[in-house]
Amino acid sequence: MTADLSQARVERGEVVLVERVGDLIEITARLPHLAATSAPGQFAQLRTGEATVPLLRRPFSLAWSDGELCSFVFAVVGVGTRRLGALHPGDVLDALGPLGSGFSLVSSGPVLCVSGGVGCAPFPLLIKTLAAHGVDDITVLNGGATGARLYPADRFRRGNAAVRVIEATDDGSIGRRGYVTELVTASLSPAPAAVFACGPNIMLAALAPLLAPHEISESAVVEASLEAPMGCGFGTCLGCALPRRTADAEPAWALCCTDGPVMPMRDVDWRALQELPGADVA
Amino acid sequence: MNVADLPVDLGRGLVLPNPVGLASGTAGYGFELRQLIDLDRLGALFTKGTTRLPRAGNAPPRVAETTGGMLNSIGLQNPGVDWVAEHYAPQFTAWRVPVIVNVAGEDADDYVQCVRRLENVAGIAGIELNISCPNIAHGLDFGRDPAAAARLVAAVRAVTQRSVMVKLSPNVTDLAAVARAVQDAGADSVSAVNTYVGLKVHRRTGRPVLPDGTGGLSGPAIQPLALAAVAQVRAAVDIPVVGVGGIVDAASALDFFTVGADAVQVGTATFVDPSTALRVLEGIAARPALRL
Repeated sequence: MTADLSQARVERGEVVLVERVGDLIEITARLPHLAATSAPGQFAQLRTGEATVPLLRRPFSLAWSDGELCSFVFAVVGVGTRRLGALHPGDVLDALGPLGSGFSLVSSGPVLCVSGGVGCAPFPLLIKTLAAHGVDDITVLNGGATGARLYPADRFRRGNAAVRVIEATDDGSIGRRGYVTELVTASLSPAPAAVFACGPNIMLAALAPLLAPHEISESAVVEASLEAPMGCGFGTCLGCALPRRTADAEPAWALCCTDGPVMPMRDVDWRALQELPGADVA
Repeated sequence: MNVADLPVDLGRGLVLPNPVGLASGTAGYGFELRQLIDLDRLGALFTKGTTRLPRAGNAPPRVAETTGGMLNSIGLQNPGVDWVAEHYAPQFTAWRVPVIVNVAGEDADDYVQCVRRLENVAGIAGIELNISCPNIAHGLDFGRDPAAAARLVAAVRAVTQRSVMVKLSPNVTDLAAVARAVQDAGADSVSAVNTYVGLKVHRRTGRPVLPDGTGGLSGPAIQPLALAAVAQVRAAVDIPVVGVGGIVDAASALDFFTVGADAVQVGTATFVDPSTALRVLEGIAARPALRL
């Protein structure tokens, strides 16, 4: 089925704020069309100008929108994020979006959000939008390698001050020492109406069995926001294939950009995804 | 007369309204880009490589960026020719942009059956034979050997009245010989070039980024290579030559006309800015010094 791109367009807006948040960067730009048309979990393809190095845009979930402003959160991992991180207020940010599928907006809680590292990105806007729909019983499990890689709890609470944030770091510098997935089982009662997850593939793959139908109500919404090396972002290059769970042995691929980035976790072949070579970002 | 307004006669009744098209593999079947740009202003849409049977495509990762370029190993993921004929072509009939189906296969019979299946299907303006996909087994064999390429074109020629363009591979010893061979076998035009075989090493692991090792390199990094190839092909054949490879703007497109191309295809740049081909069309129209 052809993706709905009816809202997507190229928009160039002024950067108004570049914040260092520990080892993460949050950039805010004036992008009124994107702000007005994006749903939580959707993404934009960003670039900083006309240069051909880097050539391709880079995909980022919309982390926050307020009026005409849109924010994105990322870590510097390669040339694309290095260019983005070098922007200053007054520079131009070039965005193509909104793209992809967003989270299913449930009408009642409790809601459990599981975030790993820069997987925090889609949650502030999701939490704000859920609050606007009257859903405010929300728990965020937030994990990161170190305290500096952990998105601060108050930033998850921007759209809803009552959100509970439970933290874990690999090195124990903030919150519990260990993986965020170790916090999940204790957070499944009362049973969540929805679980939304975003983080590294290895985290999502470890999370999937904890949310299997015998662990959580079959009627619960269980969705993850995924990533893949991406060419276009709008369904034409077919570059961002992800393994889809199927009944037969034949490989079947979903496109991260148009079938995702948010997909029901039960539709993803997590074993196959884990076995893929790591994303190339250098 | 301005080159941007010039129709391009590709033979057997196929006339492009203008010389700027979208390259195969970078525009799907048009349904996504149609939502982003005014596709009907373009000279042609060359579809994703289409095969006799559906193909799931290669395991990821399928794309990797290089300096000024993009490597891909998609593996001809497509829904198969029957689906294209039954579900896509009826929609093409309402479009003004000519849709040229890029046909690929693993052996001559695949190509012949594909082209035959499309023969009387409304909505399809022409055929581009992909004898040069680097990402499937045997995909390059026809493109490398002038005699094999000629046999394939002759076999396809025998089953179609449509205009047949042959997309040439640059990964050959003697490009001019292949171009002459397909012309002599009945091709109505040629497009040059497909992607260059390239490899990217993952610098942390020391292994190739793409699972098969190599992929096809496109993007501005290959534009000078593609220009040299088009110049070589232009000198070798009399039929129309369509230039493709690394166009990002009007200037890089005009280079192809300068070396003798009759039309151009915009490829990878569409991923970055979906309106690139339209900007190329407007840009070449706006430059009086370059009027023919």
